[in-house]
Amino acid sequence: MTVLGYLANGLVFSSIIVLGSIGLSLVYSIADFANFAHGDTMTVGAYSALVTFGAVGGLGGAVLGLPYGFFLALVAGIAVAAVVAVGTEKLVYEPLDVDSIGLLITSIGIAFIYRAVIQIRFGSDFTRFGIQPLRPIEALVPYGVRVTLHDVAIVGSAVVLVGGLHVLLQYTDLGRKMRAMADNPDLARVSGIRTKRVKLWTWVIGAGLAGAGGVFLGLFNQLSPRMGFNLLLVIFAAVILGGIGSVYGAMAGGFLIGMINQLTPFFSNVVEALPIWPGWLAALLESLISIEYANAIAFVIMVAVLLVRPNGIAGEGAT
Amino acid sequence: MSLLSDPKAAVDDLSRPEAWVLGVSVAFALFLLGALLTGALGPTYFLFLVGLAGMYALLSFGLNAQWGFTGLINFSVAAFFGIGAYGSALMTADSSPIAGGFNPLVGLAVALVVAFVLALLIGIPTLRLRADYLAIASLGLAEVVRLIVLNERWLTNGSAGVRGIPSFFEGWPVFSTLPETMPGLRLVVIPGSPILLGTSFWRASLNVLLVLAFAGATFFVLRRAHRSPWGRVLRTIRSDEDLARALGKNTYSYKMQSFVLGSLIMALAGVFYTHLNLYVGPGDLDPITTFYAWVAVILGGSGSNRGALFGGIVIVTIREGTRFLNDVALPIDPAPLRLLLIGVVIVAVMRYRPQGILPPQRELIWPSAVDDRDPPDPPSSGVREQKGGGGDE
Repeated sequence: MTVLGYLANGLVFSSIIVLGSIGLSLVYSIADFANFAHGDTMTVGAYSALVTFGAVGGLGGAVLGLPYGFFLALVAGIAVAAVVAVGTEKLVYEPLDVDSIGLLITSIGIAFIYRAVIQIRFGSDFTRFGIQPLRPIEALVPYGVRVTLHDVAIVGSAVVLVGGLHVLLQYTDLGRKMRAMADNPDLARVSGIRTKRVKLWTWVIGAGLAGAGGVFLGLFNQLSPRMGFNLLLVIFAAVILGGIGSVYGAMAGGFLIGMINQLTPFFSNVVEALPIWPGWLAALLESLISIEYANAIAFVIMVAVLLVRPNGIAGEGAT
Repeated sequence: MSLLSDPKAAVDDLSRPEAWVLGVSVAFALFLLGALLTGALGPTYFLFLVGLAGMYALLSFGLNAQWGFTGLINFSVAAFFGIGAYGSALMTADSSPIAGGFNPLVGLAVALVVAFVLALLIGIPTLRLRADYLAIASLGLAEVVRLIVLNERWLTNGSAGVRGIPSFFEGWPVFSTLPETMPGLRLVVIPGSPILLGTSFWRASLNVLLVLAFAGATFFVLRRAHRSPWGRVLRTIRSDEDLARALGKNTYSYKMQSFVLGSLIMALAGVFYTHLNLYVGPGDLDPITTFYAWVAVILGGSGSNRGALFGGIVIVTIREGTRFLNDVALPIDPAPLRLLLIGVVIVAVMRYRPQGILPPQRELIWPSAVDDRDPPDPPSSGVREQKGGGGDE
């Protein structure tokens, strides 16, 4: 594969990570805790879409190789993820009388409950949406880019969702309230913003985007009850790289982490080609920069960013 | 206050949750005893469970030394547990890809040294971080350790894991042959269903002895450390790190000490697990082990060593109880059921009893300070009366 090919894959994977990281960052800044159940919210979205798609079927026509029914399933995935998250906030997080560390620990329990319920219902095996895998787009293959129409659909939908969020944050009343609350919750409350309601909307938006990310992740790879939890740390890496609490930072961080993740094979080719001296260093780098360690590289970047620039590459939180 | 010298007073002295825990524990022990006597629970398997409970108690002790004492949110328990297990397995096993065939004591020493180094490697960058960043970073680094163990086949045998691990007492003078030389016993409690106690039973008893030694030693060291001036500094850091710093304490150094101590105990749990299970694979480094230890600690009561012990037993009950339930009553896959129970326990504890079931209370006070056989007589009259005041009542 050529560089262009890796970049194209990176773009697709980045779209999924961005969808996940925006929600995590929003919840981190407005509900003020690291939500370890965010990955499993993605799983909830993916499986809801699976059930919906199984129920409604294709519904006739298709766009970008995806039947209409799939888009309905996508909406269902987003809706169910949002409803589940709001229900959890109302039933579990809101009545709790603990600090943000307590909320963090609780969210781990919530993550386990989501995953366990899905695993009891669907088993722990991998499944797929019942959609024919497509061949790569012929016109792009000569350039070494092997993306399918499905991948184009993923990127396109992600761009639409992220664009919608941008409009919401910048030009609507709710967006201004959310930004005010992320900045200073007490001040926002004193100014007459109904912070509880804003918090609920934050959950709706964050979990909805996560649900969409989960559906696309299921389309990109496959579905399994662990899919979200496995991605959670990568998403955390993206959020931290972008700066916690900054939505645009989360987008940038998600984009970078997704790219780095998919470009790892390319980097390992580069390392092999470079004349690195001494030999043991070359051997070490070659063994460490390989596809098996794609996630590990993201985690190491995350720790490095935490140490060097705890506010992330975007600097001070500018939601 | 000793249970032996004055049982009634000791029972009266218990707080309500303590009495509950005691009652439930006694009932549970009687239930297990009944199952043992009727032959529903094999004695060898029971001893294996006791060993497992001891192992989880050790893990919880280790985490307690970090989270309960100092307030460090360490989500890399599984990494230290796994490093301890792999360290001793790779040193002692026949199928070890690197060394192998050493005495298990060498394995123990190597495992602890490797865990020490890993604790420094993880601790140096992460312990300066804010609490929630520490959680994320340590979970990430634990995953890095897991990926290395999974992928570096020349070192760890990769996903196949390490087999052919000897028992911990291999090569010891008396203990190594004890299981074979002990006579097989045949107990008949209920006529018709005798209980056979053979070689495997004695081997399991030795393991239980080992974990009791590990856990007992750890318990007393930690209890002593927690009450010492060193432990008081850790508790100060937990409640207010800025205060500790203002008092002139090098909090980073104290946090590192507590982190290393806890990590070594977790590695000890790993070493024991190696010789209990006789197989170690990369699956043992799964983050779920970390969260088992967390559930044990927050359920038992953060900072309380006996709470950690109680939590360890609850974890084994959940782990093995779901398996048992699957065999007997409900045809639900035990893995997700276990996950569900763990999740529900976490949420329920945080909702209804965030301080845990047995929060540290008297544990933190020197016994001589409370255990006064001759309490001072309360003054016969209040201070106010003595001063001749008290007209405002």
